[in-house]
Amino acid sequence: MGGPMSNAVRNIQIGDEVSPVVKEMTQEAINLFEGSAGQTGPSQFTDDHAARETLGTQGTVASGRMSLTFAIEMLRKYFGNDVFNHTGVVDLRFLRPVRPGDTITFSGKITEMLREPNGSKVMVDIQAQNQNGDTTGVGKGSAIVPMAFLPSEE
Amino acid sequence: MEQIDTRTPLDWDALQVGETFERFEYVLTQEMIDTYRKGVMDPEASFPTIAHKVDVRQYNVKYSDDGSVNARCAFHCYNPPVAGKKLTVTAWIADKYLRRGKNYIVTEAVSVDEDGRLIDRVITHELKQPSEVGKKWGGQ
Repeated sequence: MGGPMSNAVRNIQIGDEVSPVVKEMTQEAINLFEGSAGQTGPSQFTDDHAARETLGTQGTVASGRMSLTFAIEMLRKYFGNDVFNHTGVVDLRFLRPVRPGDTITFSGKITEMLREPNGSKVMVDIQAQNQNGDTTGVGKGSAIVPMAFLPSEE
Repeated sequence: MEQIDTRTPLDWDALQVGETFERFEYVLTQEMIDTYRKGVMDPEASFPTIAHKVDVRQYNVKYSDDGSVNARCAFHCYNPPVAGKKLTVTAWIADKYLRRGKNYIVTEAVSVDEDGRLIDRVITHELKQPSEVGKKWGGQ
């Protein structure tokens, strides 16, 4: 539990790839996500008719916030709960709808490391692609990795 | 009997950036957390507050519009919320902009729990012409 950063010093390098997270979207998952906040009425996320009326799509779509959650999961697993849950940020743009039946792969690459007073702010480029290779979302994430988790500088 | 919508119809031009909505409080239950974790297929998912869409909740209480599509969302993690704690949300209009003839509204919200722990911050850019999604992607 808590990912690799929780237990050991890690040598993070610019260009490192973050282990991807793959999600198979289902209507049931979407309904649970919406229902977890008490949103039980028909919406563009849960009801085909509402989606047609509001969006003009043939069926429901997943909330962009689900993709946001998956990107957060990917970075939490990379940085570890102790680091990411207190300093993590994800900023995602949604480029294409995610629908039930889609398989979405979230991937990331370390792009920059900025010195902070107590550690390094590690920047990650994030991409989400569906099973057809279409990009559904892009963005950036970051976390501040404390000095204690970084190799000492000679 | 049909209920009358007493909300104010959105006038995008008149909407004031900086408008802060009435604070919203709710108790995050263990059931909410469990349901969220099932939905996102992650037993360690730490911020079920994401699904509550608290940044647009009070906007939607005050204004009526044609709906929206989430174009961009940023989430800042400070402290995972604890089941059973009351959360207080402050939300406001952070920005609005016109891009390629389409209207966007940016909402922002900060959640704090009953012990004063800062939980998270969420910033969302919503396209206020949701039918654009169908025009672009509806046939696929």
